Parts: sequence; structure tokens; C-alpha cells
Amino acid sequence: MLAELSRDLQESKARLEEAQRVAHVGHWEWDLETGVVVWSDETYRIFGLSPQERPMDLAAVRAMVHPEDRESLYRGVDEDLVAGVRPDAEFRIVRPNGEVRTVHSVTPKRWSSMPGDAKRDASGRPHKLFGTVQDITERKRAEEALQGISHKLLESKARLEEAQRVAHVGHYYWNLTENRVIWSDELYRIYGLDPQEGPIDMALVREMIHPEDREFVFRAAEDALYSEVRPDAEHRVVRPNGEVRTVHGLGTVKRDASGRPYEMFGTVQDITDRKRAEETLQRTQLDLREVTQELRRERAYLTEAQGLTRTGSWACNLLTREIFHSSDENARLYGFDPSQGAIPFDRFYNTILAEDELALRAKLENAIREGADYDAEFRIRRTDGAIRFLRGIGHHNPSQEIGEYVGITMDITERKRAEEEREKLRQLEADLAHINRVSMMGELAASLAHELKQPISAAIMNADACLELLEREQPDIPELRDATSAMVRSAKRAADIIDRVRSLSTKGVPQRELVDANKIIREIAALLKNQLKQYSVIVDLQLAANVPKIMGDRVQLQQVVMNLMLNAIEATNKTGGELVVKSELTDKGQVLISVSDTGVGLPEGKEDDIFGAFFTTKPQGTGMGLAISRSIVESHGGRIWATRNTRRGATFYLELPQQISERA
Amino acid sequence: MSSTASASVFVVDDDAEVRAAMQRLLKTVGLHAEAFASAKDFLQRSMPPGPSCLILDVRLPGMSGLDVQRKLVAAGINLPIIFITAHADVPLAVRAMKSGAVEFLTKPVRGQDLLDAVEQALQRHEVMRQEQRDVAALQERYTTLTKREREVMGLLVCGMQAKTIASKLGMSEVTVAVHRGRVMRKMRAGSPVELGRMGEKLKLPRDNS
Repeated sequence: MLAELSRDLQESKARLEEAQRVAHVGHWEWDLETGVVVWSDETYRIFGLSPQERPMDLAAVRAMVHPEDRESLYRGVDEDLVAGVRPDAEFRIVRPNGEVRTVHSVTPKRWSSMPGDAKRDASGRPHKLFGTVQDITERKRAEEALQGISHKLLESKARLEEAQRVAHVGHYYWNLTENRVIWSDELYRIYGLDPQEGPIDMALVREMIHPEDREFVFRAAEDALYSEVRPDAEHRVVRPNGEVRTVHGLGTVKRDASGRPYEMFGTVQDITDRKRAEETLQRTQLDLREVTQELRRERAYLTEAQGLTRTGSWACNLLTREIFHSSDENARLYGFDPSQGAIPFDRFYNTILAEDELALRAKLENAIREGADYDAEFRIRRTDGAIRFLRGIGHHNPSQEIGEYVGITMDITERKRAEEEREKLRQLEADLAHINRVSMMGELAASLAHELKQPISAAIMNADACLELLEREQPDIPELRDATSAMVRSAKRAADIIDRVRSLSTKGVPQRELVDANKIIREIAALLKNQLKQYSVIVDLQLAANVPKIMGDRVQLQQVVMNLMLNAIEATNKTGGELVVKSELTDKGQVLISVSDTGVGLPEGKEDDIFGAFFTTKPQGTGMGLAISRSIVESHGGRIWATRNTRRGATFYLELPQQISERA
Repeated sequence: MSSTASASVFVVDDDAEVRAAMQRLLKTVGLHAEAFASAKDFLQRSMPPGPSCLILDVRLPGMSGLDVQRKLVAAGINLPIIFITAHADVPLAVRAMKSGAVEFLTKPVRGQDLLDAVEQALQRHEVMRQEQRDVAALQERYTTLTKREREVMGLLVCGMQAKTIASKLGMSEVTVAVHRGRVMRKMRAGSPVELGRMGEKLKLPRDNS
């Protein structure tokens, strides 16, 4: 009986051991008084040891617990023992070979009620504690893997939803057997509802479809159910707030083995924005057609305008000699027929006259190198042999490649010819002015000779005085020095007079410089000094100090002042009298010069005629003096006029503009 | 130049340089020179007692050289004038010389020419002044004559004989002779010829009728 019992016990222990090994569950017993821990074989295995390899105690167990879990595992163990409740624990252990395992330890909930489980002392504190330990490492890993998978699943679902939302695509399942409909969140949104706001049924769907589209949408769905046609419909829905959206639905029908449809699955896309974009595109295309027509018209105008202004437009690369654009007029300018197709760069370039080509090439090369614009004039020999003046303006587009220019070419031949004519006229005028000056100088020759003789006389007398002084036994040195300096002054004065006369007699090209009007008056008055003296005319210069310098040609302005003063002297010489020359700055900032005499005055009613050519009252006059003076003054942007004085004589006025910016 | 030691030379020229040069040149030969820019300034100056002359520019502003000459004559100032001109203007020169100009020089004037002219002018002035003094002495004597004596002298310088004078004045020949003797004595005339020259200098009217 006992043996039988013992055999049974052995048997059941073996079974337990077997069971423990299979389930990876071991048990342990902890003697709280001695600290000795007894482990089952499986517990040893769980901890990576051979069964009963060595006796265990609390310190040994503790040492095998993963350092990070040790503290939490043993925290509050005393209180638990008194309370008789020890919670389950999950912690990691480190096997001797370093492998980390996760174990689950269970202590019976109320060991006091389980005899033999824990023996207690008088205070109720048990002597021994018993529990199981299970290796749950594999389970844990599986759990974690599962968690990972489900997380990924959720994530991809979220992404899908996000994608659907972005693309405004929703989807639905329509269970045909139960007539139940499931919508995705985005589909709710497309219909203007909150996601999963409420259950959906076909009646509701029908209601939300635009009344005009309902019929055909459902017919399409029916067609899909009873034929092989895929449901594919574009229709409008009306959102609860009244907004109308256009959607495109695509579906598939699922059928059972007998071919009976049991489910329809489909996607619905909100294509309102796309539709609008399409419409806009259509409108744009329409607009584009109009714009193109407009452009064509404008192009026609432009061609017309280019022809009228003799201006051609072009775009080309001057380096690669590639032409991207050349207007018809551009070809015509060079004498080419635009209807004969594109003309290569070199054909254009070869028309340029050799004598102009060098300078033009230098200019273009310079512009290309600097990436700058250019503006050049050059002559070409057209195919018909005619020589034409062209002006090319090239604009370099900095975003483009090096050498790329857009520009225009103008035929400026007429302008050039007109300029040449004007230049000839100017030359003629200058010649005439010169003749006037020379003839004035002729009139003045005697006076000028006298004027020159003054310093020469003085110099000779001083020289004679010097000679006389040198004859003395003891020459008077200071007196000699004075006499010599006086001679130098006289010689200089003579040279100045000659310079003045020469500058007035030279035939020069008109030049613009800053000229002091007062200085001009003084110089001419000095030149006419003898003339004035000869006719016993007194001159009074009333020159304002604030008269600014004016931009003009010195010689020409001197000529005008001289003409006026000579006229005044002539008008006065029979009667004798006074000449007043004034300069002043007018309120309008102009320089006003007046020459007033007490002479015979102006012929009545002819105050304006006197400025005409060949008008003269003088027996030897050419009648050109005042005409030339007027042309000079007008070329300076000024005006000249004359008035009769209330008492005697006449006053001539000369008004000249001055540029403030040029003021010195 | 000893005769010109106390002489004065006047210069009128509107050109300051020319004026100064002339002054300097005259000074080097020991002449006292006074210069004026205008005729008006010169005319306001009182004449010095000694010999003097005027160097005058023909063309002056406001007043010509010939005008100045006329004005001097009108004022009884007998001053030798040297005219200076820039032009060899012959008619003008002739007129000037006729009016008593000493010299007519053309610019540019050589120093020696000017000095020669000045010397000549001063000498002439000396002569003129001597003559003036002589005339003044004669006039002094002439004023001592009685009315009758002047009448007789007037006829004597016309070359009339005593008889003719007697009949003309209604007196005896003897009386005429007495008057003539007095006239000759008072006028200090050595001979009738000399008396005749005196009459010329005094510019007595020659009435032959």
C-alpha cells in the first residue's frame, strides 16, 4: 500500500516534472528563516543551470535577477509577507551564459489558507514561501511581434485614410444580401457629413444624390449588378449645407459561386476641383485662342509699323551667328526678300561696308565680352547697290547665353542725310558769321592799329628812357627797373590785343563752353576803345556782379556784342553821345544784355525788320550783321530784339538762357 | 638844353601807359613833365611863368586835340603844341600846323623825335615869350602918347609924309614935325623904319585913305 502510494507519488511527481518541462514552469520554495531556496529541476533549467547543480539561497537568486529589475522585484517584500499577499511579478533574469530571459513568477494569492504552502510563526509571518516561475520569453517576443504587426496595420490603414482624404477618394461596401452599406470616413466627408456620423442606407444615399442624376446613377448600379458592366458614373451630390459636388464612382461587383452578386465594393472620388480646373482650362484654351488671334492682329500691326518706321526686329546669338528671329522688315532693310525664307547671319553681316565693319565688330565684341547692350550706327550696301545708314540697338538678356541679343535695326539714312544737310547749313552759317566778323575787323582795322600803337609807343619811349638812363655814369637802377617792367606790360598788352583780334578772325567750329558775359562785354569794349574815341562816344558799362556764366560759344557771343556796339557807335557818331551797355540777371534766371545808344534811333515801324537779312541803313553795310546776330542768339536758345528809346536812340536787348547746373 | 632848365612840359594822353612812358622819358633828360588824362583836366591848370610846351594826343575822348588848341588860343594862352597821332592823317596835320602846332608826330613816336620836338617847342616858346615881352614894352610906351601923337604915329607907320599928315589932320607941317619928334622919343624909335616895325608889332591899323 505504502509502496503503491510511494509509486503513485513518484509517478505523479514525474508527470508534474514532465508537465513543468513542457510548459517551462518551475517551482520554488524559500525558507524565510534560513534564506535557503529550493528549486525544482525546471526552475534550474529556466535559470540556465543543470537541475540541482548547486544549492540556492536568496543571495544567489537575487544575483541572477537582471540588475535593472532587481530593486522593483524585492521592493516591499516584507509588507507583502505580513499582508499575506504577494503580487505576480514579471522580470528578467540573466543566465550564466549571459542570455537574458523574461520570467513570470506567481505566488499563491492567499497562502495562509493553503496548508503547507507557508508556515507561519506567532506573528503571522510565514516561515516559508512557495511559488512558480514560468519562462515567458518566447511568449513575450510573440506578443511584441504581434503588437508591431498590428501597429503597422493601423499605420497603413491611417495612411490609406490619409491618402484617400488627400485624394478625396472614399470607399464603400454594399452588402447586397443584407442591403447594408458601410462607408469610409472620407466618403462621409465627400457627402458633407462627419466621419461615421450615422449609419448609411441606400435610401439616404439616394436622397443625397442630385435629383437630376439619381435616375441614371441607380440604373448604372443595376446594370452593373445584372451585367458584366463595371459601375462607373460621374454625378453630383448635394451636401446637407446645399453645396453641390461632382463625384466619380467606380465599383466592382462580387459574386458567389452561382454567379449571384452578394456585394458591391467601390470608390467615390470628389472631382469637383478637378472639374473646375478642367473648365478653367477649357476657358483658358478658349482665351488662348482669342489671345492668339489678338497676337496675330498685333503682329500684323507691328509688321505694318515696322515697315512705316523702317525698323526691323531680331534676336540672335552674335557669337554662334545663329538667328532666332528676324522680322520681315528686318530682311527688307538689308534689301532681302522676306518671303524667301530665313536669311543666314553672314548674309546680313556681309552687307556691312568694310570701312564701318571694323569699328562695328570692335563694338559688338566689347558688348559681348561685357554682357552689355550696344547701340551702333553703320552703313551697308544693299543688294540693289544702294548705300544705307543703319542703326542697330542690341539688348543683351543676362539670363540668356553669352552672345544672345534681341534688338532692332533702323534705317536712319533719311535722318543722316537731313543731318548732313543741317550740318552743311550750319557750316554755311558759320562761314557767314566768319565773313561778318572779318568785315567787322576790316572796319576796325584802323582803330585796332591805333590800339596796338599805344602799347608799342609806350614801350619804345620806355626803351629810349632806358637807353638814356644807361648813358649816365651812375645809372638809376630803380628807374631802369620800372621802365623795363612797364615795357613788359606794354608788350603783353599788345599781344593781348592781337590775340583778341585773332580769336575773332579765326574760322572755327562753334564750341560750347562756360562764358562770362561781363568779360565778353569788357573785352569788346576794350577792342572798340579807339572806335569810341574816334567818334567821341562815351561808353558806360553797367555790369551786374551776379550774372552767372552761360553755356555758349565765346567767339559768336563776342561777335553779337560787337555787332550791337558797332551799330550803336555808328548810330551815334554824327551826333556824339553815350553808349550804355548793361548786363543783368532776370527774374526768370536769364542773362539779359542791353546796348543802349543816344543815336539816330530805329526806322519807325521797322523794329523787327532790322533783323532780316540785307536790311541796312548804312551806305557800306552788308545788312547781315543783325541777321547773323539773331541766328547766333537763337542757336543759343536766346532771343534778340530792339526798342526805340523814349528820348533818343535805340536799345538792343539780348536775352540768353543759362543752365543753373552749369553755373560755375 | 640849358635854356630848358626851368621849363615845364605838359602831356595830355588818355592812355596811362603812354602817359607814364612820356613822363619817364622827359624826366631822364631832366625835364619837368606834368601829365593829364584829359584835356579838361589840363585846361583847369594855370600856366607856369617859365617856358613850357604841350604834348597833345589828337584824339581824346570827349574833346579833340584841335578843340583844345582852339580853346587855348581863345583863352590867350600861347603855348607851343606837339601833336601826337596814331594815324598819318595829312589834312589833320595841315590844319594843326596852320593853327600853330610845332610838330605833328605819328605813333609809335621815337624818343629822340619827341625830345627834339620838345626842345624846339620850348625854344619857340622862349622866342614867343620874348616877343610878347617886347610888344608889352611897346604898348607901355604907346600908352604914354597923347591922342594927337597916336594919330600922327598911326599915319607915320602907314608911310605918310609930314605934309600929307598936316593936311589930313588940319594942322601945320611944323606941328606935325613936333609931334613926330615926340613920338620918336617916347617910342624910342631910332628911325622912321623902326617906328614902322613897332606899328606892325602893335598891330596899328594901316589906313592909307
